[in-house]
This record gives sequence, structure tokens and C-alpha cells, in this order.
Amino acid sequence: MMTVAAARRAAIVVAAAVLLVYPWIAPNSYMRYAGVLVVMYAVLATSWNLVGGFTGYVSLGHAAFFGLGAYGTGILIIDLAVPHVLALAISTVGVVVFAVVVGLAAVRVRGASFVIVSIALVTMMSLIAQDARELTGGSSGLRVPPISEDLDRTSNHLLFFNLFAALLLLATLAWWFIDRSRFGAGLKAIREDEDKAEALGVPTTAYKVAVFALSAGFTGVAGGLYGMWFGNLDPIFVFSIIVGANMVIMALLGGVRHLFGPTVGALIVAPASEYFLTRFGETQIHVVFSGVLLGIVVLFMPDGIIPKVGALLRRFGPVSSSIREETQQELRDRQGVGA
Amino acid sequence: MSGSLFAQGLALGLLAGGLYALLSSGLTLYFGVMRVVMVAHPAFLFLAAYTTYFLHRVTGMDPLLTIVVTVPLFFVVGIGIQRLLVSRLAPESLAMMSVLLTFALALLIEGGLGVVATGSYRSITVEYATSAVRVFGVALPIDKLIGFGIAAVTFVAIFLILRVTRFGKALRATIQHPTAAMLVGIDTNRVRGIGFGIGLATAAIGGAVLAIIDPFFPAAHWDYIGKLMAIIVVGGLGSVQGAAIAALLLGAIEGVVQVSAGATWAGLIFYGFLFATLLLRPQGFFGGRLAERF
Repeated sequence: MMTVAAARRAAIVVAAAVLLVYPWIAPNSYMRYAGVLVVMYAVLATSWNLVGGFTGYVSLGHAAFFGLGAYGTGILIIDLAVPHVLALAISTVGVVVFAVVVGLAAVRVRGASFVIVSIALVTMMSLIAQDARELTGGSSGLRVPPISEDLDRTSNHLLFFNLFAALLLLATLAWWFIDRSRFGAGLKAIREDEDKAEALGVPTTAYKVAVFALSAGFTGVAGGLYGMWFGNLDPIFVFSIIVGANMVIMALLGGVRHLFGPTVGALIVAPASEYFLTRFGETQIHVVFSGVLLGIVVLFMPDGIIPKVGALLRRFGPVSSSIREETQQELRDRQGVGA
Repeated sequence: MSGSLFAQGLALGLLAGGLYALLSSGLTLYFGVMRVVMVAHPAFLFLAAYTTYFLHRVTGMDPLLTIVVTVPLFFVVGIGIQRLLVSRLAPESLAMMSVLLTFALALLIEGGLGVVATGSYRSITVEYATSAVRVFGVALPIDKLIGFGIAAVTFVAIFLILRVTRFGKALRATIQHPTAAMLVGIDTNRVRGIGFGIGLATAAIGGAVLAIIDPFFPAAHWDYIGKLMAIIVVGGLGSVQGAAIAALLLGAIEGVVQVSAGATWAGLIFYGFLFATLLLRPQGFFGGRLAERF
């Protein structure tokens, strides 16, 4: 009989294989485009989860870093004629520095106040981006030149699908390493009880700011790639609360305490919203959809779909407490004693 | 900037501050009774504005009279939200999850309004409120004066309910110390439900005011979230008076900045105050003792 761990490994290999061949088997250009979008959202949700999952600080304004990365890259390419790769690197450094500054102010407040600050951040950026016309093109948008003029649409989608997939791998690895590190243990201690963590000597502020900046950095790279891929930046979409909310919905739906939680969430939510967008076009049904989905997740499965499904599969599995992340059953499986 | 322009901006800002004060009293109530930051409050404000708009268009009812319909309706919805949704959340993660839950409500309302009423601007003009009175050379539009008056009357009414009635006492006791309140025989669940009801009723009245003073569209509630959150943080979370002072103050500053530097800067002012307050004095500037604990 296959153990849980072996089954999980097999599932990961199959999923990775499907992910890699997807752009080649996608039937048409739209499906390729949607594929890139889904992987991009997986990157965003996984990056968000570096803060949200480990520390429990819910940021609804991560779109601010996404937009900053996108506009930073775009403006460097257009106004200063910086090569694409260098522009992406510079703008990412900029996003990280910005996140450290914002983080120092934002992580001083906990719980609900932090959420307020994060919402304020993205609304603020949106206002500024709409106003600074000579830099951002305002509401008429910013055209970002493609990475190479002789790249057709299909190879553009292929290229960015792979770039986003690589970034997803990096973000997932970062999460995996932190999850197993002393740093990660400190972050989780902050999530469980920040005062006690502080009393036990966890440098809470430094840890929070560090993980906030790391998360913002990944989000910023994704934003920069988005700008180069999509070629057109609109402040209303890029600095949108809805994009930030989607990251939260995806991570929560998949499960914020699981390595692949945000990716699973993105695989469900992104195609669904894309469907609503194409099916109902200009109406706001997709916003209703996001709202309903978020409400259901918060009310009925705040731990996400992965534990929910896991519990269904195990049926009689013991209820896991918030501290212990491995059940007795999993422990036995891992040690090869057998269930 | 000339003196008269300054006075004009100041007057308009103060008038807008009245609506902010009324709305932030609702937010303060939710936060007080449940420690919930109700992100959907402005979304309900716009829902009320649209309800007012359609009642006015369909039945020809005076927009200000529609509050006899919207206030009881929103009061009941508010109780329902507390009883059926917020109270279901696990207490240890209430602060975070309630923000997400009310955020979900906000998305739902925004999307719903977008589907039903489209994203385009709406506004109501009432013929008795199109002119303006001049006081010392400052033009005060009648609609904004009426709006300020209604907001002020409602705010005073809520303040008196909290201060002099027996229910208000129970509510304040629940805000100060829920367990102790329960021990002296207060049905805190009932009080919390009604607290939510009153909070949402402020959005209903605010909606009628908003409908006559400004054009509105569904996604505009995000602007209000930022403004109101800034106000309750500057005022000190949980203090009705503090929020009112902050509302008038920030409203006045917004008005002056609006006429001198434009709408973008006027919008950014709120966030500037929000960040500055969190950095310098996270418990707010005008808050009572409750704010100290957060």
C-alpha cells in the first residue's frame, strides 16, 4: 500500500509535469493566455502566503507591490531605456526597499489595523498612479515595449509561462526553506502569540519586516513580468484591491499552512474568475463571485481546502490543533511504522 | 491661495465632515461591541444611496423621506449580520476573519450594484436644494447644508442614546467589559446585535445624504473605506466623540487641500494622517481609555 508521503510525492511530480507541458497542449492562444494568468496568480498567492501564512498578518494591499514592480519596470524601460532584465532587477530592489520602509510602519500595528493599513496602501498607490500622468500615462495606461520585437504572441505566452513557472518554483522553495528554518519557527511563534514570542527572544519586528520585504519582492518581480508580458498597465487594474483580495482568497481557499495551498487555490479561483469574466463580460458578476467565495471560505473552511479534503480522505483523522502541524498519523507514516 | 478660497474650502470640508462623523460613529459601534472593523460599512452606504435613488425614481418619494424605509431595513440587516455571520467566527481569529468576512460583503454589494445598476454615475437633484446661501462671501450649497444637518441630528441622537438611555448604558458596559456586563445581567448578545443594527442604520441615513449631495457609482466605496479608516484611527478606535472630532478635522483639511492642491492630494491627506498616527500614536489622538488597549 502506498504511504501518504509517497502519494504526495507522486502527486507533486504529476502536477509539475502537467504544469510544464500545459502551454504546448493548450488548444488556442486564449487558453495559453489564461494559463500564464493562472501561474502568475499562483506566484502572487504563494508570495502573499509568506506573510499571511507564517505570521498571520493579512495584507489586502499586496497589489501595491505588484503594481509598483510593474510600473517600476515599465518606466525604467520606457523613460531610461534600461534593458528589460536590468529594469526588472532594479525595480525589484526598489520594491523591497519600499516594503522595508512601509513594513516598519505597518507591522507596528496588529490584527485589524494592519489590514486597514494594507488597504490604505493600495488605494494610495492607485491615486498616485492615476495622477502622475507624465510618468505613468494616468488612466489611459502605460505601454510597455515587449522583450523582443520579433516575439510572436504564442512564443510570448510560452516564454512568460515558463518565467512565471520558474518564479513559482522559487517562491515555493522559499516557503519550504523558511517553513523548516529557525526564522520560520519565529514567524509561526508570532502568528500563535506575538507577545510570548517576543518574550522568548524572537526579534519580532526584524522577522516581520524581513518576511514582509521578501514577500513584497516576489510580488514585485511578478508585477514586472506581468508588465512585460501583458504590455499594457492600467492603474485601476494593477493597483486594484480586487487583485490583492484574489491573492488572499486563493491562499485561504487552498490552505495558508500548506506549501501548495496558494497554488491549489490559484488553480481553482483564477480559471473560475476568468470564466466569469469571459462569460459575462462587462458586468460585475466576477466581483460577486469573489465576494461569495471569500465569504464561504471564511465562514466554513478558514483552514482551506487541502486540510478539508485531507480530513475527508482520512475520514477518521484526528483533529489537528493550531500548534501541531503534523498529526500522529502523519508522524507514524513518515517514520515508516505504518498506519 | 486667497482668503475667500480658503474659507470656501474650509466650509465645504466641514460640511462633508458631518457625513464622515455620522458614518464613523457606525464604525465605532461595530468596533466597540464586537472588535470588528467593518470594511463593508461604506459599501452599505452606497447600497443605501442606490436604494434611495431607485425609491425616488420609481415612487417619486422625496430622497430624504426614503430613510423611513431604509433605516428599519438596514437595522434588521445589521442585526442579521451580527447574529448570522460575525458571531459564527471563532473568537481567537475574530479580528482577522471579521475583516475578511466584511470585505467579502463589500465585494458582494459592489458587484451586485454593478450588475443591477451598472458602473455609471448616478445622482439625485432635488429642486429645493439646488441653490446656495451666502454667508460672509462663502457659498454654502443648500443640499450640503441639509446633509450636514441630518448627519448632525442623527449623530447627536446616537450620542444621547449611548449616554442617557438604559440601553446605552448596557451598550457601553458591553463595550468596556463584556464579561462583567454579562455578570450584572446584561444580555450582551442582544446588545451586540442591536449595536450592529444601529451601526448599519447610520449607513442608511448616510446613504440618503450622499445621494443628494454627490454623484455616486458602485466602486467609489473604496475611497470612503480609506477615509473612514483614517478617521477612526486618528480619532482612536472605539471612541464616538474622538471619531467625530477627527472627522470634522480631516474633513476641513480635505476641503482646504481640495481647493488649493486638487482632488488627488485631498485624497492622499487621509492616508498621510493614517500612517502618521500609527507611527506616532497608534492609540489615536482623541480616543478614550478603550483605545489604549489596542
